[in-house]
Amino acid sequence: MLGPSVAWYLGVAAFLFGTGALGVLLRRNPLIVLLSLEIMLNGSNLALIAFSRHHGNGDGQIFALAVMAVAASEVVVGLGLIVALNRKRLALDVDKLSTLRG
Amino acid sequence: MIHRPSVDWFALAPALILLGASGLALLEAVLVPRGARKVVAAATTALGFLGGIVAAIWLYVDSVHGERVIANALYRDRWAALAIVIVCCVGLASVAVSWSERMSERHIAEYYALLAAAGAGMAFFVGAANLMTLFLSLEWFSLCLYVMCAVDSELEGSLEAGLKYLIVGSFGSAALLFGSALVYGATGKLGFVEIAQATATGGLSHDALLVVGLALVLAGLGFKASAAPFHMWTPDVYEGAPTPVTAFMSAATKTVALVVALRVLVTAFPQEARLWTWAVAGIAVASLAIGNLAALVQRDVKRMLAYSSISHAGFMLIAVATGTPLGGRALMYYLIPYSAIAFGGFAVVAARERELGVPVTVDNLAGFGWERPFLGISMTLFMLGSAGLPFTGGFVGKFYAFSAAYDHGWIWLVIVGVVATIVSLYYYLGVVRAMYMRPAEELRLAAVAGGSPPREALLQAAVGAAFVVTFGSFFAVQPLIELARHAASSLPF
Repeated sequence: MLGPSVAWYLGVAAFLFGTGALGVLLRRNPLIVLLSLEIMLNGSNLALIAFSRHHGNGDGQIFALAVMAVAASEVVVGLGLIVALNRKRLALDVDKLSTLRG
Repeated sequence: MIHRPSVDWFALAPALILLGASGLALLEAVLVPRGARKVVAAATTALGFLGGIVAAIWLYVDSVHGERVIANALYRDRWAALAIVIVCCVGLASVAVSWSERMSERHIAEYYALLAAAGAGMAFFVGAANLMTLFLSLEWFSLCLYVMCAVDSELEGSLEAGLKYLIVGSFGSAALLFGSALVYGATGKLGFVEIAQATATGGLSHDALLVVGLALVLAGLGFKASAAPFHMWTPDVYEGAPTPVTAFMSAATKTVALVVALRVLVTAFPQEARLWTWAVAGIAVASLAIGNLAALVQRDVKRMLAYSSISHAGFMLIAVATGTPLGGRALMYYLIPYSAIAFGGFAVVAARERELGVPVTVDNLAGFGWERPFLGISMTLFMLGSAGLPFTGGFVGKFYAFSAAYDHGWIWLVIVGVVATIVSLYYYLGVVRAMYMRPAEELRLAAVAGGSPPREALLQAAVGAAFVVTFGSFFAVQPLIELARHAASSLPF
C-alpha cells in the first residue's frame, strides 16, 4: 500500500525541526530548551527514516537509531547540569544565567 | 551468515588508545586510593595522549595513499593523521596545565577520563568518511567538552558555561543532523564520495534539498569552529570554563572542526564549489570583522582571547574558502602555530589566575612581565604571533592563507585580512603594554594573593613547548609545509 509521498514526511520533519529551533531560541526554562533540542533531533530522525524508505536503503534508519542513542546521552548531560545548577542556587531561567556577559 | 566488514585496527589506533586511557582513568577513579588518584589518572591520560601521538605519526608515515577503511566509514590518510598529531599534542599539554588547577579533588580522575575521551572523539572525527560517523564523532567529543566546561562546580560561571555550551552546541549539532538528512534525501547516500558521485551523475547540483542541506551542514561545523555568525557562545563559554579546558577547546576543537569542514566540502560537495566558496568567504569576513572589533573593547583577557580565536577562525576560513590544494596546505600549516599560540595564551592566563585568585583582566596583568619573566616573554611571543608579526609561525600562516586567496583571484579578501591584522595589533599589543609598561604604582595592584605560589613546572613546560612551536614554526617552515602538502594531497581537490 502506498502512503503519503515523501514530501509530506519532509514537511512534518521540517515543521518539527522549526518548532524545536524556535523553542530553543525563545523559551527560557532550560528544561523546555532541552525538550526543544530533542524535538529538533527527532524532526531530523523522521526525515532520515522517510528518505530511507524513499530510497529503499537502510542507511537512514540505522542513522536514526544511532541518533536516538546520542539524543539520550545529550539529555543525560543536560539534565545533570540543570540539577547541579538547581542545587547550587539558581532560578531555572536562562535569561537570569548572565554572570558571563561582557 | 552475517557479512562483516574487515576492521583496520591500525587506522583506529589513536582513538582506541585514547579511549583505553579514558576507561582506565575511570576505573582508577574508584579503585585507586584518594591520595594517589590524581597523579595516577593524570599519568594515564598523558600516556594515552603520548600513545596517540606515536600511533598518529606511524599512521602518517604508513598511509601514503589515503584510503577508506572499515566499510568505507573512516579515512585512513595523512590529512587525518596530521590533525590527530596536533590534537594529541594539545591534549598532552592540557594534562600538564590542568595539573595544579584548583579543582575539587573528589572527581579529578573523571576529569582526566573526559579529557582523554574528548581526544578520542576528535581522533575519530577527523577521519569521518560519511555523514553518520561525522555526526556521531562530533557528538562524542562535544558531550565530553560540555561536561568538562561544567566540571568545576566551585568556580562561578563554570556550570553556566557548561549549560550554555550544551544548548548552543546541541543546536549546532541538530542543524548539522538535519542538513545531513536533507543531503541524504537528495542523493540517497551517506558516504562523502558517494554523495559527490550521485550529485554528478544525477545532475543534482542545483537541487534545493542538497543546497539547503549543505548550508545546514556548514552552519553546524561553523558552530564548532566558532566562526561568526555562529560564535555567540564562544566568549561566555571560554570565560566561564576552567582555563585549562578553555585552552584545550580553543586549540583542539577549532583544529578538528576546520580540518573536517575542508574535507567535507571538497570531498562531498565539489559540484557546489561555486556556492560554498562564496559562503565560506562570507563567514570568514564576518568572523574577521566581529572577532577583531569585539576584541578591541574587552577588558577580561579570556574574553579577549576568545574573540581573538574567532578572528583566527576567520583567517583559517580564508584558506578553506579557496578550496584549492594551496588553501588546504595553508590551513594545515596555520593550524600548527595557531594551536600553540591559542593554547599558550590561555595557559599563561591560567598561571596568572592561580596567582591572583580572580579573573585576569588587562588591568591586573600589570607588572606580570617583570614578576614572571619567562611567562611574560612567552605571552609577548604569543600575542605577536597572533598578530602575525615576523619571527613567529603566525606570520607564515597568515602569509600562506593570503597567498591562497590571492591565487584564487580574491584580492579583496586579502585586503580584508590585512586590515583585520592591523586592527588586531591594537589589542594584542595592549596585553604586552599591560604586562610591561604600566607605571610602578599600578604594579602594587597586582599583589599576589596569599604569597608567591610555587612555580608550576608542568605549566611552564607546556608554555615552553608552545613557545618552541610558535617560534620554531617560523624557522622550520619548509619541513612543516612539506608535511602539510603531503597531508593536503590526500584530499580530492
